[in-house]
Amino acid sequence: MPLLDIRNLSIDINTSQGKLRIVDKASLAINEGSIHAFIGESGSGKSLIAKVILGIHEDNWIVTADRMYLGTTDLTLLSKSERRKIMGNEISMIFQHPKSYLDPTKKIYYQVKEALTNTSIIERLMHTKKYNKKSATRQRIKELFHRVGIQNDVTIMSSYPHELSEGICQKIMIAMAIGNNPRILIADEPTTAMDAETQAQIFRLLYKLNQLHKMTILLMSNNFASIRDISDHITLIYSGQTVESGTYKQITKNPLHPYTQAMIKTIVAFDEGVEHKSLLYTLPGNLPSSSEIPIGCRLGPRCPIAQKKCVEDPEQVNYKGHLIRCHFIKLEQSKYANTPKYK
Amino acid sequence: MSINDEFDKKQIRTPLHYIFQIFKKKVAAIIAVWIICTFLFIIIFADFIVSHSPSEQNMNALLLPPYWLKGGNTAYLLGTDELGRDNFSRLIMGIQRTLAGALIITAVVSFFGLILGALASSLKNFKASILHHLLDSLLTIPILLTALIFIVIFGSSFQNCLYAIAISLLPQFIRSIFLSIETEMAKPYIVALKIDSMSDLQLVKNVIYPNILEPLVTIINRVFTMAIIEITTLGFLGFGVQTKGTELGAIIANNFEFMYLSPILVLAPGITLFIIIFSFNVVAEGIRHAIIEAEQ
Amino acid sequence: MLNYIMRRLGLFISTAFILTLIAYALHYWLNQSHSQPIINGYITYMIQILKGNWGISIIDHQPILAKGLKSLASTLELSIFAFIGALTLAIPLGIIAGIYRNGQIDYLIMSTAIIALALPVFWVAIMMPTVSNIFHLTLPIDGQISPIYEVKNVTGFMLIDSLFTTGTYHFEAFYSRVRHLILPSIVLSLFIFAETIRLTRHSISMVMKSNYINAAYSKGLSTVQILRSHVFKNIYPSIIHDLRSNLSTLFSFAMTVDIVFKSKGSGQWLLTSIHEGDYIVLPTAILIIGGFILLSSILIDILLMLTSPTKRITLYVD
Ligand SMILES: Nc1ncnc2c1ncn2[C@@H]1O[C@H](COP(=O)(O)OP(=O)(O)O)[C@@H](O)[C@H]1O
Ligand code: SF4
Ligand SMILES: [Mg+2]
Repeated sequence: MPLLDIRNLSIDINTSQGKLRIVDKASLAINEGSIHAFIGESGSGKSLIAKVILGIHEDNWIVTADRMYLGTTDLTLLSKSERRKIMGNEISMIFQHPKSYLDPTKKIYYQVKEALTNTSIIERLMHTKKYNKKSATRQRIKELFHRVGIQNDVTIMSSYPHELSEGICQKIMIAMAIGNNPRILIADEPTTAMDAETQAQIFRLLYKLNQLHKMTILLMSNNFASIRDISDHITLIYSGQTVESGTYKQITKNPLHPYTQAMIKTIVAFDEGVEHKSLLYTLPGNLPSSSEIPIGCRLGPRCPIAQKKCVEDPEQVNYKGHLIRCHFIKLEQSKYANTPKYK
Repeated sequence: MSINDEFDKKQIRTPLHYIFQIFKKKVAAIIAVWIICTFLFIIIFADFIVSHSPSEQNMNALLLPPYWLKGGNTAYLLGTDELGRDNFSRLIMGIQRTLAGALIITAVVSFFGLILGALASSLKNFKASILHHLLDSLLTIPILLTALIFIVIFGSSFQNCLYAIAISLLPQFIRSIFLSIETEMAKPYIVALKIDSMSDLQLVKNVIYPNILEPLVTIINRVFTMAIIEITTLGFLGFGVQTKGTELGAIIANNFEFMYLSPILVLAPGITLFIIIFSFNVVAEGIRHAIIEAEQ
Repeated sequence: MLNYIMRRLGLFISTAFILTLIAYALHYWLNQSHSQPIINGYITYMIQILKGNWGISIIDHQPILAKGLKSLASTLELSIFAFIGALTLAIPLGIIAGIYRNGQIDYLIMSTAIIALALPVFWVAIMMPTVSNIFHLTLPIDGQISPIYEVKNVTGFMLIDSLFTTGTYHFEAFYSRVRHLILPSIVLSLFIFAETIRLTRHSISMVMKSNYINAAYSKGLSTVQILRSHVFKNIYPSIIHDLRSNLSTLFSFAMTVDIVFKSKGSGQWLLTSIHEGDYIVLPTAILIIGGFILLSSILIDILLMLTSPTKRITLYVD
């Protein structure tokens, strides 16, 4: 049973141009102890879904879902404030632009300390003496910092956010996020606007956390190439519709959805060394803006194999855990061609 | 699904149109607009509305109460003052003077302020530094003091009061405009346009001003509010009333002594003033909110 | 930091210099007999100013500088009282309005603020005695202090000076001064009240939208905790900064209030002098009032810079 199980999540937002269905029946299932990559172009609704999971969405969003479970807790039954409460303990999140998530007027030490509210009982027993409390917190922060690869912890703790780089700030955010041993860590494009070296550092850090501490991570990104190799599962989302979902192997070796195929083709072309100045392979057109979303399958206008039927919303089909949402899966390509189709 | 509705786009023509559409839904602001229209009507047709000449005295009807109170008289809707002059007519003429004065000041200050503010933002180095020091020092002198100084210099007439107030409001306006332009100038898209070799003045006129509508509304509203308060304050203090006309502040000063005999003498002009300032502020707030919502 | 303070002082000196030029221009214009060329005249004028010879009032033959400073002190007492009253009410209201932005409470609070802003100051001032009568308050309606007390001028601030008279009057002179301040400062506080609500609400709603507040919520902190430990530190610099740029407007209103309540402040001093034809007070007033507002603005700037980390960021920028 997956740790986080979301089925047919839809998000409608009331705007001045009427009610817009930004996210349309997205499904996501994350297994315990895995890194789950959630990939989609920017504007496809990843952050929105993350916000809804955490319950920090705004009031004018209408959220509907068939199923939204964290472990055995039904999230749909909880109010926003109740959901916030379990958030700190069970789900932690890191974002892009980490600096903006740090209060500019407070030193890092206080902000990290604030995040570490529930010290574990064992740790409390270890530092029973009262005068020790402050240094105990410092010690704990120091350990956390070392875990995320921050060496000069003393200087950092007494700095203000504006004195630090985005990369360091992201590491601090990760330290705060894992400080309470959450069951799942959601990373929403954690490396956007960072240089390649820092990006690699952050991804390595996340991978290490997963390997050493069995941390479950939902890693959202718009860059398939940079994260596919550290992930166990991959889900792709296009314009608010989850199009395909499967294990690393299923998606990379045997992509079935035209969108995934196009994306992989682009990357593969890169890997194999493209001819100098040749045209890169992409789908024609752009991600539709939220006010002019096509009906039915949203890839329709850009899909190379689209047909008349595509104006209807395709059902999601499941081939042994490989989920695809398309009317015309080319079964002959698939090694599942002979397995019976079931929902 | 409504999201596919092509016609949605056609409802929204220009940003201004869109702002107006949002504004139309704000009930309080629309009511305030109608109140302002009424006052504008009064300004234009004051001479036809009044039933008596504001200086006509009736020795047989001193300090009459308004008509709905005992002893009132429908010939004098709001009663009379200590010289038997019709309060209603004086109020109407007062509104005409005060409000027209404030509107003229607002228009003049905005006109020169927008030009000078744009110039100020395009000045460089030494000239800019001198201008800003000059503004800094002018801004430390309270408006009332500046106005008093100019009245002493020009002489005390209603017209000179208007000049004095306009001049004393100008530095504040230039500074606020300048600050808004600076904030907008720092945005990346402006840098891009600058790289495209657009001149600063062109930029301010064609790009910046349309993009700082919201602070502009606030600044202009502030100028209007200060203008009307200063006109009436100076009138109340006894400046600019040698001429025959009436002015709301001067009416209040004149009627002040008889307030206990007939409260309407001070209440009517005061409340009128309040309603004028309040309505303009409500409309300004409404426009601001409409702009903010439209930007979202 | 030192660099910043030096630059502020530089700004102070150059702005003060321009103020003296303006004052001298006015002085020159008012003195019809010009015995020396303009530049020499300015130097002579400045020497006299620096020596403290600011001229003698033609009304009562008192030195103008002393009268000007004393009236400034009276207006300051009034303004400080008004500030304390207005801020204690307006900041909590502004915070509530900002947090419940666009809700019913917000609507109510903002309407109150607009009403307070739209009430003409001098009119409220003349209505005040009537209002206090309605509530059966027996508060003095004009003057600075009851004339039965003889208070010697020590600091110029009547509140403080009246404390030196406790030997004769116990605290009665002081009480009398406080009671005289109540009505005028209520009138003056309306403007500060409205401005502060507007500014607080604006900065609160800006800060509440920011990511770090969302993050604080996700740490499981309550709204009160967040207000205390994250919001307040982030909003006070901008509120104080904006109030500072309203100082001269505020002073205009303070002078108006002071004239109506005849409380011997700057407004009354200027007005009576002008009515008596003692125009020499005008350049003096520019120097005293303008100088005071300039000095306090610069001090506020420096204090903000010293206390607020976010303000210090700008130090790196320029
Ligand atoms: N508060 C909002 N109101 C209306 N539309 C929004 C809002 N927030 C996001 N959107 C729209 O939702 C879409 C998805 O946004 P987002 O989740 O941030 O994408 P991603 O994180 O995948 O880049 C965008 O097209 C954006 O226009
Ligand atoms: S449903 Fe149609 S449009 Fe959508 S991906 Fe499949 S073939 Fe393309
Ligand atoms: Mg995003």
